Amino acid sequence: MPAPPAPLLVAQGIEKTFDQTRALAGASVEVSAGEVHGLLGANGAGKSTLSRVISGHVRRDRGTLAWRGAALDPRSPRDALSAGIAMVMQETTLAPDLSVLENIFLPELAQPGRLRPALQRQRARDILESLGQHAALPLGSEVRRLSAAQRQLVEIAKALAVDATLIIFDEPTASLSPGEVERLFDVMTRLRAAGRALVFVSHRLEEVFAVTDRVTVMREGRTVGGSLPTASLSQSDIVRLMVGQDLGRIYAERPAVHAAGEPVLEVRHLCAPPRVRDVSFTLHRGEILGLGGLVGAGRSETLEALFGLRPHSGGEIRLHGKAFSPRRPADAIRAGIGFVPEDRRLQSIVPDFSVRENLLLGHLSAYRGFGLGYATRDARVAELLRLLGLPNERLLDANMLNFSGGMQQKIIIARWLLLDPRVLLLDEPTKGVDIVTRSSIYAMLQEVADRGAAVLVVSSDFEELLRLCSRIAVVSDGATIAEMESAVLDEAKLTLFAAPRSSMAANARLLADLSEETGGAAFWALRDGGRLFCLNRVGGTGVSDPGFVAGATPRFEETRIPAALRSAPGTFVAEPDGQRSTLMAQVHSHRGHDLGWIGLTVPGVTTPDAATIVRRVQDAITSNI
Amino acid sequence: MPEALAPTSRSHLVHRLAGRLEVRMLGLALVVFAGLSLASPYFLRSNNLLNLLDQSVVTGITSVGMTFVILTGGIDLSVGSVLGLTSVLMGLAFGKLGIAGGIAVALLSGGAIGLFSGMLVAYFGLASFVVTLGVMAIGRSLAYICSGATSISNIPPAINDLVYTPILGVPSNVATLLVIYVLAGLYLSFTKGGRTIYAIGSNQEAARAAGLSVLFYSVLPYVVSGALAAAAGVLLSAQVMSIDPLAGTALELDAIAAVVIGGASLYGGRGSILGTLIGVLIMVMIRNGLNLLGVNPFWQGSAIGGIIIAAVLVERLVSTRVRG
Repeated sequence: MPAPPAPLLVAQGIEKTFDQTRALAGASVEVSAGEVHGLLGANGAGKSTLSRVISGHVRRDRGTLAWRGAALDPRSPRDALSAGIAMVMQETTLAPDLSVLENIFLPELAQPGRLRPALQRQRARDILESLGQHAALPLGSEVRRLSAAQRQLVEIAKALAVDATLIIFDEPTASLSPGEVERLFDVMTRLRAAGRALVFVSHRLEEVFAVTDRVTVMREGRTVGGSLPTASLSQSDIVRLMVGQDLGRIYAERPAVHAAGEPVLEVRHLCAPPRVRDVSFTLHRGEILGLGGLVGAGRSETLEALFGLRPHSGGEIRLHGKAFSPRRPADAIRAGIGFVPEDRRLQSIVPDFSVRENLLLGHLSAYRGFGLGYATRDARVAELLRLLGLPNERLLDANMLNFSGGMQQKIIIARWLLLDPRVLLLDEPTKGVDIVTRSSIYAMLQEVADRGAAVLVVSSDFEELLRLCSRIAVVSDGATIAEMESAVLDEAKLTLFAAPRSSMAANARLLADLSEETGGAAFWALRDGGRLFCLNRVGGTGVSDPGFVAGATPRFEETRIPAALRSAPGTFVAEPDGQRSTLMAQVHSHRGHDLGWIGLTVPGVTTPDAATIVRRVQDAITSNI
Repeated sequence: MPEALAPTSRSHLVHRLAGRLEVRMLGLALVVFAGLSLASPYFLRSNNLLNLLDQSVVTGITSVGMTFVILTGGIDLSVGSVLGLTSVLMGLAFGKLGIAGGIAVALLSGGAIGLFSGMLVAYFGLASFVVTLGVMAIGRSLAYICSGATSISNIPPAINDLVYTPILGVPSNVATLLVIYVLAGLYLSFTKGGRTIYAIGSNQEAARAAGLSVLFYSVLPYVVSGALAAAAGVLLSAQVMSIDPLAGTALELDAIAAVVIGGASLYGGRGSILGTLIGVLIMVMIRNGLNLLGVNPFWQGSAIGGIIIAAVLVERLVSTRVRG
């Protein structure tokens, strides 16, 4: 779609710093009427902050905003709303006890004059009609009773009630089912056709391809790709922009892969609703294992389940080979597990306690006596202080909150080191930590592992995971989809693996069917630069084994089907040794965007009809999604 | 270390402010004391000073339990009616069980009522304000029903010895008060349970994530509060040699006031037994002094109320400066 000449909104050189964290460092975006504009970036790239600056929720420190050619300076969401800019938030901002109708017209409460419910009712009906959703929302119902998708619809209607010209959707699909996502996309398409401008903030690449016209890509608070037509890009292009070209420096400090010790913590098919569906991995003595994935993939919840803070409903946890099922954190601590949660202020720090008592909090819970037993730890406390560059003894009585985030984090980690844990779980250990302290935390964790503990780290910062961890398990939408050496990975591949795919479940069913009918191996993969990224594989033993498993990233020649991978798709290609034949079929969603490849490897050279299978695969994909 | 603690001077300030809260209250107590000594020739007389301590016993003991509850971030509105009900139960039990049996009934029933409130608060996550408001109403109504809505005055005379037998020259009720304060102060400062109570009030999530027994130590303060309210009832009954189902009415307000004047935060995590003791003494001295000066007793409420508000205001100003 050709971009109209005059952009509706131009944001340029936006900068914003929260406390010490630089959220935006020169971000720009241009949005025109009648387009859906994707705003992309990895976790923490600044997408949400930029959206909130535009919608008046956050004030920028520097930079310019132009709205219809005139300068705009929204001091509050109300300013932005009256200009015609509305935001549909990730966590909706509705009043749960008011009715749908009252919520839609909530901004009118800020206007003088009498409310006119009859007129409002009619306008609400018109708005829903224009979205093709007149049946989806009971206007009189309390918002509390609505589903996530319905609430979102209320938010959209609310934006239209003030006749917003620009609507920003911040991660709108995060809590929706695939069917609801489709409905949302229909609504967005109608809004675009009505000449409104939409900004779609997401890190789900499939959806970006499905619904956007142009995209702006952000990285580390900057715009690295502005207003690129979606049609001109591939998934790999976008990933490369999101991650950056300078992959070289990562490898320099890659941790040595040392011989793994015996398994310490084995997790199989762990299920802890609602976020954790099927998580499996093995953590060895002396290693640092990373749990990679996007925010909301269920990584934190996995750690909480392992530490007994969250009940798990299924799966098996084995600790030192014995079944382990913690019901309370005390169980986990007794078994030698320590846990550093994600939110220091909320989950770790006791603000009214001194540094000393915060440091000794884990000891307090492990201590069996009636008193405090602080003196029994004096020697170890002094040793830790020396080793970790923690404040000297005089400062032990100071308040925790006077220290930098990095120092606080070290104290919290030391809280567990004091107990000599055999397993240490850390959730985003360097969140809000300055760059200098980061490397000392890395060194600290490496030393903990070298001394024989097993360390499990959750991080959204893929660069950090690759630097710190010898192996990485990737979690996507509550399930581990790969567990591999970090040596074979880079940020781009990790991003590809971690991207949540709403099509995952449907595709898995299709693969199972194909494998069962042909007695071969069915797999789903992406191809990039002579490598295969296997996302899922079902079946295939003996000769029909294609030579890789789900989560593997082999070069073509490292597989058992190199000839097929190098040939043109659409037909069965036999390998030179005649042992197996493979069909590769590229699949697209019904909106025409790339979903990767479905492969089918069967034994021998006599094969089923390729065209039938290709058609069938494409039909299944289209109808499933 | 470059990142280590830039604001050293600020931490000194924090220290001074945090330390000063109790110091300030102690100062206020001394000012009140000195002022009353000058204003009234009777104030400093030894029998008035003893009288002062004697008047502190009921509020003082109840305030210890209230301190425990407030430290966890809760509140116990039921202490007054728990005192009334447990006293009535004790009065009924005297006939069959004797003095020791009657006292045991009072203490056990007080603890049981606290256990009930505490379980509702900790296990079901109900607001302590609402739960103890309900228990307060139930307790008072049961006190009327059990007593037949009249005072019980046939109390074994020997119980009066409990109050006025001197121990090391101090009347035994005052000695009991001091012993309870010392034990409670030691418990809160130097035991695992005491520190857990502080940790829960300061940041319950962090206490849970560190593996502390959050549930147990969330319930315990209500049990302590109920049992101590009953103990206060025992001493009150022995003092006046009569049990009134109305006894302890509005006691919860005095106890909360004492704890708050003593520098505790109603959000939990901050406060001390020493502070509570000072709070109790300030309140009792003001009441006593206004009486001695012949001020219309209706002014007492204004004086106490003014001090409560001033104390909370000071707490807020200090804590915003400390916590930023």
